[in-house]
Amino acid sequence: MKAVSVSSAAISNAMRYSQTRMQVDLVKAQKEMDSGRVADTGLALGARSAQAVNFHRDLDRLNALVDSNALVSARLKSTQDSLGQIVSVTQDLVNALTVAVAGDSPDSVTAKSGSTMLQSLTTILNSSMNGEYLFAGTNTDVRPVEDYLDPASPAKAAFDAAFHARFGFTKDDPAAADISAADIESFITDLVEPQFLGAGWEANWSNATDQTIVSRIALNETTPASVSANNEGLRKAAMAAVLAYEAFSGNLGEEAKSAVARRAQALAGEAIADLGQLQSQTGIIQNRVSEASTRINTQIDLFERHIIDLEGVDPYEAANRVNDLMAHIQTSFALTARIQQLSLLNYLT
Amino acid sequence: MSLSSALSIAQSALLSTSRQTNVVTRNVADASNPDYSRRIAQVVSNAPGARMVVVQRAVDQQLFRQNLSALSAWSGQSILSSGLDRLQLAVNGVDNAGSASTAIGKLHNALQLYATTPSNPNVGATVIDAARQAVRSLNSGTEAIQAFRADIDSQIATSVGELNQLLAQFESVNKAIVAGTRTGTDVSDALDKRDALLKKIAEHVPVTTHLRADNDMVITTTGGVTMFETVARPVSFTPSPAYAPGMAGATVYIDNVPVAGSTGEASGKLAGLLQLRDGASVTMQAQLDEIARGLIGAFAETAPPLPDAAGLFTWSGAPGVPGTLVNGLAGQISINAAFDPDQGGNVNLLRDGGANGAAYVANTGGTASFADRLIALGDRLDQPMTFHPAAGITAAASVTAYSANAIGWLENARQQATTSANTKEALAARTAEALSNATGVNIDMEMSLMLDLEHTYQASARLLSTVDEMLKTLLNAV
Repeated sequence: MKAVSVSSAAISNAMRYSQTRMQVDLVKAQKEMDSGRVADTGLALGARSAQAVNFHRDLDRLNALVDSNALVSARLKSTQDSLGQIVSVTQDLVNALTVAVAGDSPDSVTAKSGSTMLQSLTTILNSSMNGEYLFAGTNTDVRPVEDYLDPASPAKAAFDAAFHARFGFTKDDPAAADISAADIESFITDLVEPQFLGAGWEANWSNATDQTIVSRIALNETTPASVSANNEGLRKAAMAAVLAYEAFSGNLGEEAKSAVARRAQALAGEAIADLGQLQSQTGIIQNRVSEASTRINTQIDLFERHIIDLEGVDPYEAANRVNDLMAHIQTSFALTARIQQLSLLNYLT
Repeated sequence: MSLSSALSIAQSALLSTSRQTNVVTRNVADASNPDYSRRIAQVVSNAPGARMVVVQRAVDQQLFRQNLSALSAWSGQSILSSGLDRLQLAVNGVDNAGSASTAIGKLHNALQLYATTPSNPNVGATVIDAARQAVRSLNSGTEAIQAFRADIDSQIATSVGELNQLLAQFESVNKAIVAGTRTGTDVSDALDKRDALLKKIAEHVPVTTHLRADNDMVITTTGGVTMFETVARPVSFTPSPAYAPGMAGATVYIDNVPVAGSTGEASGKLAGLLQLRDGASVTMQAQLDEIARGLIGAFAETAPPLPDAAGLFTWSGAPGVPGTLVNGLAGQISINAAFDPDQGGNVNLLRDGGANGAAYVANTGGTASFADRLIALGDRLDQPMTFHPAAGITAAASVTAYSANAIGWLENARQQATTSANTKEALAARTAEALSNATGVNIDMEMSLMLDLEHTYQASARLLSTVDEMLKTLLNAV
């Protein structure tokens, strides 16, 4: 009696389960073909989703680092340019002083070259980028140096006070002509030097901090990325300019003037050497930043490839899958229709 | 004598044929009813020429049991898998866009940009915005998880209600079957009904059945708890209207025995729901709480020997920093008003430190481009810290890695549940098909039987008329 056992319900429902599965797969394959990524990364990767999430996040961070490195590079480039300008104005001063030492130029010209140098130095040191003063150390919202030629300048007042304290009269006093070379030299060493190379610089001249801006340039690398106006080369350059300006704008005698000029010339020379070193240090940092960016870009490429390895699908494969599935679904529709017609009832009259 | 006996045999043949036709018609009528078992009309001769039709019901206990357990496994796994899908979408969003991990990544990037231009408070404000995103992600994640638990809880209550109803129906059907079997009436329809009820019960709880005398059935859960024995045993549950982090859900009792929550594969809707309510969602809440703790710790202000104090991220226990897993921390975490410009705070505190008093100031010079603390904060997000093992993922990791691992944990659970649900669905479909093949109706076969019956009927009728004619001839001759 029960020879074969297949029920009519089973026959008509035979395709139903596989039909729904195929349709679900078709939707997935279509999505994958469109996006080039697996339809549901979480389901496809499971526990490895954490890896994919980490890759995505690191990729974002690396891109952010490249952006921030561009800012750091711009700052360093401006710093480098400014240092170059300072070297060139200091060089001008050295030239003027060389002529002055030989006694071949009028005082006013030498004094003028001193004051020009001061003006340029102040302007350059006070240059800013993105609203941050370049040479301010970390104190970037305050102008690093005040104008020495301003009558209200505390630096100028301190210099005049020191002169008066040492000699009992101002440099414009006729008595100044009698100051000996030895006296003026000891004045420079004892009273002027501390104002520039000692504590007086930060008290009267500079608002900058010794600490410079530190920036992160790679995932695990930070670097100082600015130059402070408190750098020794800059102090020496300022001192040379002030000496030239003050000595040649007062009433000092020839002997004293030439002693000051020699001292200023030597200082300016040292300043140029120091600034050169500073420039090369800055150059090294610039190089580090650009190398870090290059390295990060390589990493970005690598990470993108990893992400594609994890989440990507072969679009040709996806396209083939869509075609296969469509063919299968059509076959199964056709079969269902034929099976429905297949009934003994059609032959019973 | 022999003619009249031939007449009565033909008569009884007509009767049995019409009975069999009745069975065939019934079979054809219920051909597409999945709960219907084919009736077989068996002809038994009890005396020479006298025939009786006995209706039997096609049964395959083995396949039926297989189908029951496949149904339980499928309904449990599909509840688990769709629940985890919902949880993933509610907490992490599409493509994990709303996840804590994504928010922390953005916070990290904003911090990096701010560290490059610390003098710019507008860039600082973007850090606060990113932090607000992270807080929102954690807060809404907590809300979503607790709302999900409350929803699952009400589903458990519905499931328990249905189960009680099904058991009550089962009781009356079973009673009818026992009474019918004792009096010897045909109980096939009631048996069909009982099998259908059993299938529905198995969707909620995996069951084992035992048949006793008089077709009396006993149902126990696979764990051995009696669900039905002569009378239905009560299934009880007290739903909780709302859930808070750390709150334990009420237990389901069958016959006053608590139903234990399962781990791994869930069999039966009830087990799947319990696992969602007390397993995955509780672990996820713990993970969010630990991420919140990691964030509060990473942004805390430090000034040894003073205790660490909550910085950008704060909580109900501020200014202290939570030292271990705090239930519901992810719902409490908020942006410290001292930092938030929208609440009258000062962004620069992030750069300088000192939200908890002058002793915590890191930027002692008060300079505008002090980046050390910002860089240190970025580093702290990457530094490993110890997380509570109860949250189910690696104990030592940075908060950034931990938040990514939390996603990995959920996706892993989801992947396993979905794969298993697919397998169980296929199994349920196949066993249902096999059962239908074994006990279902094939219309073609019924129709061919019908042809046979038609012929028999015609032949019997023809016999009757022939005997009638013979008798007539005989009577005419007389």
